[in-house]
Amino acid sequence: MDVKLTINGEEKSASVPPETTLLRLLREEFNLTGAKIGCDVGDCGACTVIVDGIATNSCLMLAGQVQGRSIETIEGLANMDDYHPLQKNFEDLGSLQCGFCGPGIILSAKQLLDDNPDPNKEEIQDALAGNLCRCTGYTKIVEAVADAAREMRGNRKAA
Amino acid sequence: MKQKGKGIGCMWYPIGFTVAANPSAATVKVNEDGTATLLTGTVETGQGSLTVLGQIAAEELGISTDDVHVVSADTDTTPMDTGAIASRTTYVTGNAIKLAAEKAKEILFEVAAPMLNVKPSQLEAVDRKVQVKGFPQRNLPISEVALQAQVVQGRPSIGSASFNPPTVDMDPETGQGKPFSTYVYATQIAEVEVDDETGQVDVLYMSAAHDCGTAINPMLVEGQIQGGISMGVGFALQEEILFDEKGVQINPNLTNYIMPTSLDMPEIDVDIVENFDPTGPFGAKGVGEPTAVPTAAAICNAIFDAVGVRVTSLPATAEKVLKLIKEKRANENKQLAPAE
Amino acid sequence: MDENVKTAEREVTLERLREIDDDLRLPAVPEQVSYPIETLIPEARTQTPAVGQRASRPDGRLHGLGQTKYIDDLSFPGMIHAKIKRAGISKARVKNIDVSEAEKMPGVMATLVGSEIPVNSFGPSYQDQPVMVNGTVFHAGDPVAAVAATTEQLALDALDKIKIDYEPLEAVYDPIEAMKDNAPQVHEGESNIYSSKVIQKGDVEQGFEESHRIYENTFSTQMVEHVPMEPHASIADWDGNGRVTLHSSLGRITLGRADIARTLNMPINRIRIIATVVGGNFGGKNEITTEPILALLSKKTGRPVKGVYTREDEFMSSTTRHPFIMDYKTGMSKDGKILARKVRLVCDGGAYCSWSETTLGKACILSAGPYNIENLYVEAYAVYTNKTMTGAMRGFGAPQVCFAYESQMDDMAHDLGIDPLDIRRMNAFHEGSASPTGQVLESVVVRDSLEMAAERFGWQDWKK
Repeated sequence: MDVKLTINGEEKSASVPPETTLLRLLREEFNLTGAKIGCDVGDCGACTVIVDGIATNSCLMLAGQVQGRSIETIEGLANMDDYHPLQKNFEDLGSLQCGFCGPGIILSAKQLLDDNPDPNKEEIQDALAGNLCRCTGYTKIVEAVADAAREMRGNRKAA
Repeated sequence: MKQKGKGIGCMWYPIGFTVAANPSAATVKVNEDGTATLLTGTVETGQGSLTVLGQIAAEELGISTDDVHVVSADTDTTPMDTGAIASRTTYVTGNAIKLAAEKAKEILFEVAAPMLNVKPSQLEAVDRKVQVKGFPQRNLPISEVALQAQVVQGRPSIGSASFNPPTVDMDPETGQGKPFSTYVYATQIAEVEVDDETGQVDVLYMSAAHDCGTAINPMLVEGQIQGGISMGVGFALQEEILFDEKGVQINPNLTNYIMPTSLDMPEIDVDIVENFDPTGPFGAKGVGEPTAVPTAAAICNAIFDAVGVRVTSLPATAEKVLKLIKEKRANENKQLAPAE
Repeated sequence: MDENVKTAEREVTLERLREIDDDLRLPAVPEQVSYPIETLIPEARTQTPAVGQRASRPDGRLHGLGQTKYIDDLSFPGMIHAKIKRAGISKARVKNIDVSEAEKMPGVMATLVGSEIPVNSFGPSYQDQPVMVNGTVFHAGDPVAAVAATTEQLALDALDKIKIDYEPLEAVYDPIEAMKDNAPQVHEGESNIYSSKVIQKGDVEQGFEESHRIYENTFSTQMVEHVPMEPHASIADWDGNGRVTLHSSLGRITLGRADIARTLNMPINRIRIIATVVGGNFGGKNEITTEPILALLSKKTGRPVKGVYTREDEFMSSTTRHPFIMDYKTGMSKDGKILARKVRLVCDGGAYCSWSETTLGKACILSAGPYNIENLYVEAYAVYTNKTMTGAMRGFGAPQVCFAYESQMDDMAHDLGIDPLDIRRMNAFHEGSASPTGQVLESVVVRDSLEMAAERFGWQDWKK
């Protein structure tokens, strides 16, 4: 089965068996290993990527379902000039420990901030409710998302 | 109706293995520009140990954290290490690294002493300089000393060492002995809200005061405490592996094994208790496991304060708490009845 | 340029290419792997002195960028995949195993069973745990057979084709039942109690005599799992000199190497274990699991073999936290001092010893709490049952006993009419206190931690 899609702004295509999930497509065909296999059944959120603007468990989507769609993965957040404010704030606050849940959580947070530039603490916790983390207790993650939101609002005003 | 309660959990926890040898070895190499490389056999499992160990080596050599590159976790190239277990890494591996860095530093001092016209024992390494104790104006940049050592004198600055905590084995009949070199202490206090109609327990707030000796990196200590509390909340209220009558697990998946999400976390205030343990590297002890120890106790004591029921088996699920509340009411009614 | 050579205008754009061929397979452009070029070093990392700095982690930056390579993110040329078949029955004798159907499947490169492992036992205290089942199954997650195939899906499909004949045997699941004389034996031996420890100090009976009131409670805790976000994963690969390299999510590589040397009967210097970053350990990745299996499959097939636990494997076949049953009997003076304490701990040791001895030892020492108690008697037992093996998990028995002694403390405080904070202040260790094992404690700050936490919480003024 052929599939053509846009990943991080670039058009890509692949030829894969029909039962291939989006998660395996990203990891095995395109070597984008940022999305992780935590449970493979949609419980843990470690495979979260953004599909047409919505944070989604990529292990629950088939490759065929993303034909023609636009995917954002963790690998697309930074560019040659700078990191994304989420990545910077996560680093500054020590928000990630083992880091396995990191890409999924950052992308869930990105969707939140793209839709709601000024979330309160409950809204942040709610947006991350589908991403399990065993190491950090979520506290520094929520703080970092709030800091990143503030920074992004400041950048927008300056721009 | 929702009832609030507060509860204390207080604990002590040892560092290292019970009596048994649990050594760590390390090698520190100072490069010819004054930066350094640290070789350690420990494995980074997320707790940030490599950063902390780098800070210990940097402190001994008087350079900054970023000046030390940490290489780990390869049995061919890094020295042996008993592993990231029993909260021992900062204490045992840290001590090994401090000793190794001291040896590397000795070489630098022996090279710098004639350059500064003093004896090696008069020197100290501070702020990227090798300087004379009590007269810091006489100093050399560590980069110059390291270059001189390796390239001119032919004495590269390198040191290896190992450390094992001293213990005394326990008497087989009475258990008396000195099983651990050091212990850490902590208290966590929980505020919970119990819905006495459903038994649902919400942990609203926790204040955690943890002793870890010197906090080499306070940010990482906070991370460990927050993570430990999340495991404690799960242990107290949610998590349980269930078996059927044939000994096969019923819920071996994350759909039915309930563990804390971002919505389950309380507000946490962390305090690090000021302490210095002379047997630890720069006074440090450890903190990895102790953080998950008193949480369940504090939560269950808070439930007792809130609704007067004592949970004696974990987890304190809503069903269990509600059942205890109903039993308590039934008992109270029975006691009232004779008066009527 | 030679004037006799005629060239054409080369302006073939992507759009033009698409017009030519609608089904054009667009080439995979290699992903950008390092950026930004000018990196910013956080200030705390450049400060001296280094101790006490809130230094950020270099691996933290890589995690946020998605650049960290965990074991499952690595791949090697020619790599194949292995999966493991679990028993699914908690106690049984294996009458026979038939892997022939699995081996015939296209894409399946090798299978492995327990009898092919040179030394099929390991364990940190007792070597009672087989790498793969050795004729008898002891818990439902026991590995019975393994398959290596060109894709993970093929390996999983092949597992279904392996036929195993079991003769179910009598099993026991409750640790108290298992302690009884007539209980079915989990392993060969006279008793299911495989480890016991005692600590005694002073004279408990005397202490109880002098007590104003005696309190007796029983507490129990459940089996929980570490649930590291990264499942166990390893890759095994051999070179022409008979050296095996294992990339593994182990937290203890020196011990792992020693265990591989033992189970594969090899000299230690022919084994290399590399751990990259582990995605969470908490005690569950402190011993070998699939490494010898993958090493042997790799040897059989001449290819690197990767084996990753499914999330179900994580629950059923990796170690868990010991459920404890704890009996506490404490004698108190009228004003709230602990005069005597007697503790019995029964620890559900699961199917194999694993870290139970260590857990038992630690729990025993910690069970009295951070309190000055002159008269103490603790006895602890680890018992085999036919359930998932219990091993090291963050705390080694401490969270369980802390739940017990702190719960009883509040019950006693309530009964005696003493504030929970005060009763702890009265009894807590201080500098120079003697521990349950007679050790003189130094650098003791229990009271400081109580005061700090209470003040931060606002204990005195807190209202419901």
